[in-house]
Amino acid sequence: MTESSPKDNQGFEEPVRERYFVRLNNNERIQHLIFGSCFIVLAVTGFMIKIPENLVSILGGYRETVFLIRGILHRIAGGTMILLCLYHVYYLLFKTAGRRWLVDMLPRIKDLTDMAYNLLYYLGIRKEPPEFDRFTYKHKMEYGALIAGSTLMSVSGLLLWSESMWNKFILDIAAVVHGMEAILACLAIMVWHVYEVQLKPDRSALNNTWRTGLISEEEMKHEYAGHYKKIMSDPELQNIYIKS
Amino acid sequence: MKTVFPFNRTILIGALMIVGAVLIYNVSGPAMAANMVPDTENCLLCHRYPGMGRYDENGRKRIFYVNDDKFAHSVHGKLKCKNCHVGLDKIPHTDIKKVDCSTMCHIKEPSTNREFSHINMVEKYEASVHGRGSKENPKPFPEDLPTCTYCHENRIYNPLGGFWGKSEALSNETLARCQGCHTQEGWAKDFYSHFTHRMRRRRTQAEMVRLCTSCHEDSKKMIRHGVETVETYKDTFHWTQVKFDVKDAPDCVSCHVPVGYSSHEIRPKTDPNSPVNMLNRLNTCSNQGGLQTCHPGATAGFATGRVHAYGMKAQLAAAKRFSNLVGGEMSSGELIKERAVIDMTDEEIFHFMVIKLIKLFYKIFIPLVVGSMCLHQWLDYLSLRRRRKKSAGSASPSHRQENE
Repeated sequence: MTESSPKDNQGFEEPVRERYFVRLNNNERIQHLIFGSCFIVLAVTGFMIKIPENLVSILGGYRETVFLIRGILHRIAGGTMILLCLYHVYYLLFKTAGRRWLVDMLPRIKDLTDMAYNLLYYLGIRKEPPEFDRFTYKHKMEYGALIAGSTLMSVSGLLLWSESMWNKFILDIAAVVHGMEAILACLAIMVWHVYEVQLKPDRSALNNTWRTGLISEEEMKHEYAGHYKKIMSDPELQNIYIKS
Repeated sequence: MKTVFPFNRTILIGALMIVGAVLIYNVSGPAMAANMVPDTENCLLCHRYPGMGRYDENGRKRIFYVNDDKFAHSVHGKLKCKNCHVGLDKIPHTDIKKVDCSTMCHIKEPSTNREFSHINMVEKYEASVHGRGSKENPKPFPEDLPTCTYCHENRIYNPLGGFWGKSEALSNETLARCQGCHTQEGWAKDFYSHFTHRMRRRRTQAEMVRLCTSCHEDSKKMIRHGVETVETYKDTFHWTQVKFDVKDAPDCVSCHVPVGYSSHEIRPKTDPNSPVNMLNRLNTCSNQGGLQTCHPGATAGFATGRVHAYGMKAQLAAAKRFSNLVGGEMSSGELIKERAVIDMTDEEIFHFMVIKLIKLFYKIFIPLVVGSMCLHQWLDYLSLRRRRKKSAGSASPSHRQENE
């Protein structure tokens, strides 16, 4: 066996050139990291106020300190997230990659048909899944929910932060919206996003795309067939999306 | 009839008392002697025994034990028993009257040289929301109303309340200065404790909330007085802070008895003298006599609306308004319903309905959205499994062929 290996013939091993496709560029990965960290901090420090009294008492003498740190962290994370959202709008409008993101993310008729076909595929009525573009209907719905959710959370959060200036009625509404949106956001992230990127049976034990921004050619062909074909037929797109 | 005890019950109790007496004397007798008030009435002859008590007609356990050390250090430690417990001339005490805090006790108040009494406080209290009303106009269900001792638990019955309360910084330096002239330590401590009694917080905020809610969360009691229960307080950020034991967190008295008001004179919120009346609300939220500023920048708009908002009354008033709209009749006659309709303004009912609708929207929207997400992901999971099985299935026959 060993005698016929290319290493013995050539003196060095010909590397198997596996191509990777860029899903998130550096800038987007950093945005995702900051947003995700803020989200976790906000969720933990936010839901802490709902811990029942008998569980809070476990903290004993540290209760007040924990509460004050909780409040500061919640405001820091909230403020960071708002600034990041504003930066994201700037990124979408004034950066080339951002504009490409915006155009690819815009809802189209194809998304509706994709969704219908995909559901039919799930039900076993269609044999093949639709050929998805860069962002599928799942991504677009999640992105839309993120825009709506972060807008509502930011506005209601800022209102509650500057409570003395506002009418009690407005604050009551802000408090209800802030709490309910938080529940919705956390559940949606768990069911929609975490399943999609991590819990799906064909995901590896630790999906590294959030750190590397890359996916394999196999995955690309399989999950974003439409986008794959587009890239392969356009050398300009190959420059952007293929990393070997 | 078969008896459970091998002895006669009287002998048993007598034996227990002797054992108890010996124990008490040996354990604490000599130690407490220094602080003891001379028991000239000789009440402790019997009342020093911890087991002393009986079950009353209602089956309630009554304890008549007096810990003389704790009593000596209580606010009433210098009084004789009979100053408050009027009667007591017979043994057993069949002629006893309930303690009345408005009784003239035989201590002379030195600044006026008159006999001291809590009568002025009791009179104010009886005219407040918690009082029994006047003789001409008594309140219904007087047994529900808190008496003096409901809130002022004597320290005898409150083993956690230390002599110095919670504010040690206040006490030590001041007391040291008192003792500069008043060299007798016990006397100085007693008087210092007496003067500063009202300055110190006896209860934590959570304990205060627990005291008030022990009645105000009892819906049966509240409804028959035409008052709504206050569990909505626990939805507020005020309670969250109390729960986390934050310093100066707002409990019940922070707003209902702010600086400058007396807890014995709590008025209904419709009364212009109430701190939560709209006339005084802004001050209560923003600046309590310059001493307590919780929301310093509060605007008039901020200080409107209900703080622990929209409980039973809002629901009743909204239901009544709705039944009026559709032309139906809502059964009325209950005090709480009548009060609800008077108390809730149109604006408040509108606010209540808006918030209720938003909550309702989310209560439908969240399960709907998350439910369809779960369904979608479940279908995704099934299809992936199916595909996997198929690819495994298409692989295995070929293997089999090779093997054959």
